[in-house]
Amino acid sequence: MFHSTLTTFLLVVPLAVLTYAFDTFSEELLLKPLGNDHLYAHFQFATKWDTDPEQESFRHTHMFPRALGEIVARYNVQELHVSLTAGLWMYETWGYPIMDAAPGAELWVWFKEDTENVDKNWKELASSLSGLLCASLNFIDKTNSINPEYTFKPRGAVSSPTINSTFVRYSSLPREIVCTENLTPLKKLLPCEAKQGLGSLLNAGHIYNTRYHSMAIHMRPICRDSSCESVSLELQQSVSLVYDLLILEAKHWSFRKLFGQGVIGRCVLAETATIYVDTTNNESVPFQLKPDPDEYVTSFRGGYVHTYAKYDVQSYVMSLNANYLGKNKVVLNSPPAIYANQYITGYGQERGGIVTTIYNNHWSPLDVVFLQNIPWYVPIYLHTLKIDAGGVRIEPTRIHYIPGRQRERPYHLEVLVKLPARSITSLSIDFDYVFLKWQEYPPDANHGFYIGSAVVSTILPLARNYTGLPQDGSTISDSFNASRSGYLVQMRTESTVITLPTPDFSMPYNVICLACTVVALAFGPLHNITTKRLILIVKDNEHFIVKLKNKVVGIWTRRTSE
Amino acid sequence: MSRRARLLQAKDEPYETRTIISMYMLGIFIRFWLIYSKYQSIIGHHVEISTPLNSWKRVSEGLYVQSKGINPYEGDLIHEAPVILLLYRILTQTFYLPAEFLFLLVDSLTAVVLYFVAKKYMFHLFVFQEKQKGEYAQDSKEFILSGADFLNSPVFVMAAFLFNPYTIFNCVGLSTTVFHNFFLAIFLLFMLQGNPILAPIALAFSAVMSLYAGVLISPLFLYLYVIYKDKVRAYIALGVFTLTLVALTCFSYVLGSGSAFLKNVYGFILTVPDLQPNIGLFWYFFTEMFDHFRELFICSFQINATVLYLIPLSVKFRNDPFLLTTAVLFLVAIFKSYPCLGDIGFVMSLFPCFMHLFMYAQQGFLVGVIFLITSALGPILWHLWIYSNSANANFYFGVTLAFAIAEIFLVTDILFAYMKREFCLKYGSERKIDGKEAILMLE
Amino acid sequence: MKQLTIILCFSVIFLSSLHQNRAQLEFELPKNGHTNNWAVLVDTSRFWFNYRHVANVLSIYRSVKRLGIPDSQIILMIADDMACNPRNPRPATVFNNANQHINVYGDDVEVDYRGYEVTVENFVRLLTGRLPPGTPRSKQLITDEGSNVLIYLTGHGGDGFLKFQDSEEITSQEMADALEQMWQKQRYHELFFMIDTCQAASMYERFYSPNILAVGSSLVGEDSLSHHVDPAIGVYIIDRYTYHALDFLESIDEHTNKTMGEFLSVCPKRVCISTVGVRRDLFRRNPFEVPITDFFGSVRPVEVITQVAPQPEVLNKTRYQVTSTPKKHRYVPPLVNFNSLV
Repeated sequence: MFHSTLTTFLLVVPLAVLTYAFDTFSEELLLKPLGNDHLYAHFQFATKWDTDPEQESFRHTHMFPRALGEIVARYNVQELHVSLTAGLWMYETWGYPIMDAAPGAELWVWFKEDTENVDKNWKELASSLSGLLCASLNFIDKTNSINPEYTFKPRGAVSSPTINSTFVRYSSLPREIVCTENLTPLKKLLPCEAKQGLGSLLNAGHIYNTRYHSMAIHMRPICRDSSCESVSLELQQSVSLVYDLLILEAKHWSFRKLFGQGVIGRCVLAETATIYVDTTNNESVPFQLKPDPDEYVTSFRGGYVHTYAKYDVQSYVMSLNANYLGKNKVVLNSPPAIYANQYITGYGQERGGIVTTIYNNHWSPLDVVFLQNIPWYVPIYLHTLKIDAGGVRIEPTRIHYIPGRQRERPYHLEVLVKLPARSITSLSIDFDYVFLKWQEYPPDANHGFYIGSAVVSTILPLARNYTGLPQDGSTISDSFNASRSGYLVQMRTESTVITLPTPDFSMPYNVICLACTVVALAFGPLHNITTKRLILIVKDNEHFIVKLKNKVVGIWTRRTSE
Repeated sequence: MSRRARLLQAKDEPYETRTIISMYMLGIFIRFWLIYSKYQSIIGHHVEISTPLNSWKRVSEGLYVQSKGINPYEGDLIHEAPVILLLYRILTQTFYLPAEFLFLLVDSLTAVVLYFVAKKYMFHLFVFQEKQKGEYAQDSKEFILSGADFLNSPVFVMAAFLFNPYTIFNCVGLSTTVFHNFFLAIFLLFMLQGNPILAPIALAFSAVMSLYAGVLISPLFLYLYVIYKDKVRAYIALGVFTLTLVALTCFSYVLGSGSAFLKNVYGFILTVPDLQPNIGLFWYFFTEMFDHFRELFICSFQINATVLYLIPLSVKFRNDPFLLTTAVLFLVAIFKSYPCLGDIGFVMSLFPCFMHLFMYAQQGFLVGVIFLITSALGPILWHLWIYSNSANANFYFGVTLAFAIAEIFLVTDILFAYMKREFCLKYGSERKIDGKEAILMLE
Repeated sequence: MKQLTIILCFSVIFLSSLHQNRAQLEFELPKNGHTNNWAVLVDTSRFWFNYRHVANVLSIYRSVKRLGIPDSQIILMIADDMACNPRNPRPATVFNNANQHINVYGDDVEVDYRGYEVTVENFVRLLTGRLPPGTPRSKQLITDEGSNVLIYLTGHGGDGFLKFQDSEEITSQEMADALEQMWQKQRYHELFFMIDTCQAASMYERFYSPNILAVGSSLVGEDSLSHHVDPAIGVYIIDRYTYHALDFLESIDEHTNKTMGEFLSVCPKRVCISTVGVRRDLFRRNPFEVPITDFFGSVRPVEVITQVAPQPEVLNKTRYQVTSTPKKHRYVPPLVNFNSLV
């Protein structure tokens, strides 16, 4: 027995060790001025691990965080996308982010095709992630999840010929707050944590002072080479921040101002550690970078040219300053090709409508997939769905609708629609306000109930205002010169709040008593009618007191007469 | 002069056909005007009129979803049985009838049917009275019904249906209770005619729609058994009812592609998952209910709404099954899980059949006043709660409670009146024992 | 090269341990049976005006973490988000003092239960260990008969109950029963129950399980008072009792000789205004002989063991294959092509 153990051991151990030899980690930071008054900072940490996800047990990992690996292995996950966001990305003025994320928490996962009970795995996966990320993701379950048919296709490499959407789950928790306790675990998943490298810039005290902040973890299998016969596991961890320069009280910015400190050395585990500063607009809004960049990179992508100042992170404490030169010029902002807004119509707490307005500024029609996951407490009426562009009613190409059920399943609406060129299209649908049981209301019932943001997806033919990563890329540098036939954007609209009518929470006993009394009011007379009969009896005309008096007098007279 | 004598003086002559027809036209015109006016959607959206069970908006949603190839019973917006949904689909999509016209048509037909129902009942009453005349007390002549009573009651019934705001709003608000009432009216007509085939079939349709109507099989059975004294017909009716129900359910099974509709239609009626306010007692009670008591109270409330009073009342009023029908219908309308004004309006329009009992009723004024006040306060407090946020659920709940109390008073009062009248007919109106003043008491 | 060294290391350890891999591990437990420390810190109040309760619980969190209990053994429940609340002018901070003396929120806080998760049910389930499947380790109290547990509660209370988020409450009897269940399931060795709320003493009066030392910020009939207002946030910033407790805890480190007895006499009535109540009849030791680190620190006795080696079975179970069969993979277009639909 020992011999066999020994032989297996000796055979196995070297492989076990060797498997982690092929993983690489890179970290990048992109700084991009957004218009006149905002600054976008995007941290991209990418780990690529040349292991077969089908075979990998995640018992031994090197750069890949084992805590996440265990969860992925246990719940048979093929692709995992989770983001925690506060604030709203303003597509109209800021263009497109590198990674779209809905306000609050958003989770979408592809399970492997041999998963037996997807719903159970999904629930427990969300619960496990809630422990990993210190967020209330454990509130995700069947009652607020959908399996999108068209919107969320696998981002990574797949081997099966067909895509079966029963293995994808999507859910969002728009109410979820994001704070230091979520950043702490994210930092712990980084190979160098926050001790060295770009991670050291993630200081809670500074990054929560922003207009928009989003942290995300995306894990997927990617092609290892161009033949794509074997795959690697890729993990992207990202933190996106949009600083409002008005809050920073100066147009000039520096690492110290943005992050509280400079980069503390270079993460020794990182293969590349780079900082990019978008200098495309440097002609209209010139700023001077200090120190001087190592080089300037020019990227031609989808018909647009971008220039970036590139810095390699050095092993000493490194900081960066940008000083704006000359007087302020107003940058004329050209809105991106497509963006969307969402709002609630109606007043009162009886009936309302959800309206999504999609602006197509492109010169040609655009194919758009609109996805909305509407909670069960907002019952929508599909026959009230109206899509019109400038007063002209548009017939959707296809509607995928799965009606919700109270307390069981949300309403899942996916609309495929072709937007006319240069148009403003509005999608509206009516809903009713529902009345819940008193114990179903949250402790702050009058704060309101959230309807998550809609996802508007399209493939842009041009890369104007586009910064997203290509499907086969994992780092920001992969997006340079990455011209493709189309550029995917998945915009998230505003999440909205409705105030459901509330009962009086202090009334349960009173209501139960009163309603039962009314039932008793019927029971009493009906019982009398059906069980008794009418008879005549001699009317006793005497008043009660007179009767009493007579009785007393009677007794008294009897006594005296004795 | 007694109240009754005054009543008789006021209207002794039967109404002319011309008057009846013009009245009928007026009733339809009011509906026509309202249904095509801007008030239609306001009325149709009121929770007192359209409940989750009968709102046309949900039916349209069901039909639309169905036309898109989605099973409407997968979601939980539609609570109409598949057969009924098929009926609506045929009427609106095959015959291209606009919904408004459909509702007008069905409601006006119901009025006609009710007219004949009342006529038939009055005839029965007349026959019954002639038969019993020998047993009546000497001084009860005054209570015996005369020709004009018999002739006028049907007109009053029709008028009560045509001009009752509750039924008008019910029709204008496009609540599918209109169809339910139509089936009920047909059922009543055939029941009074002693038809053992059509009556149970009509009843089965009502029962498929609302479940609660099924309890009326008891008065139907009694009608055939006691009034027509025909055991065979009575049992045939039972059999036909069961068969039709089973057939309709099986048909629904096929149409609804599976048993999902059972949960959506009957499960919904029985377990009350939607707590949207209505004029009934369930919504706030089960909003505020503690979860671990929910099942217990749902069971007891449903028993209360269906069989609790059915058996004792059937025994007590076996000699007048039509009164029994009315009483049971009324009690169901009060205690069902999703009642609406259409249910109440329908029963109330049957009341003129019992005009001979009104003089024995004691709480007419009280009930009338409460009806008036609650009908006015209900929408006001609803608006204050839902739109102005200056009242809360308790206010509206109070109104629905008062409304329910008024209804209860009304139905018990009529039943008491019936007992008193029977007593008076038998023993005369003189209430004296050995020359002493005496009073009527229940013992 | 690195890999080779590691292989060598593993192989050597493995070979040397082959002959004794069935050997029993025999740890010599410390005399008093105390092997590890856990802390359950709960803030039960929602809404901005209850900022002070969050500051309270974070003060204790900061102290126990500083004195050595690792985050994995601290269960922190916070019912509302004060640090990143839009009303907080200094995001990601919670201070114990208007002078911004100590940021008790820190830079690496880990909140295990937050927001709507802070319910009586979750709290009792956590204590008694009856959690649904899939509950992550960070949300479990994995204690044993050698665990010293610190339970700290703060919120709004009354005589015999403590409110959770203004919508439900836990009664003192329920609390006592939960602790009894813990004792019966051998989920603690000794327990220090600390509560800062009005009428705090009423919460521990019903306790009947052994080895519990309890302290409350006020007696029955007394209110617990807050310390001071921070005009920058517009609300009270911390409660008196916890403020002084934190003051005391800040003055010590993990090598301290201070005892629980000294900690129990923190905040006399003239500073607290309420009377700090103590219940020590269930506790078998003299608090003045119990080091404060028995509850607030994590003194893990280190025994040098010579006979134990890593268990190789674990590694044996791993299944690694040299090559996986090459399969053609591809990227699918991220969005459906509309032309293919029509």
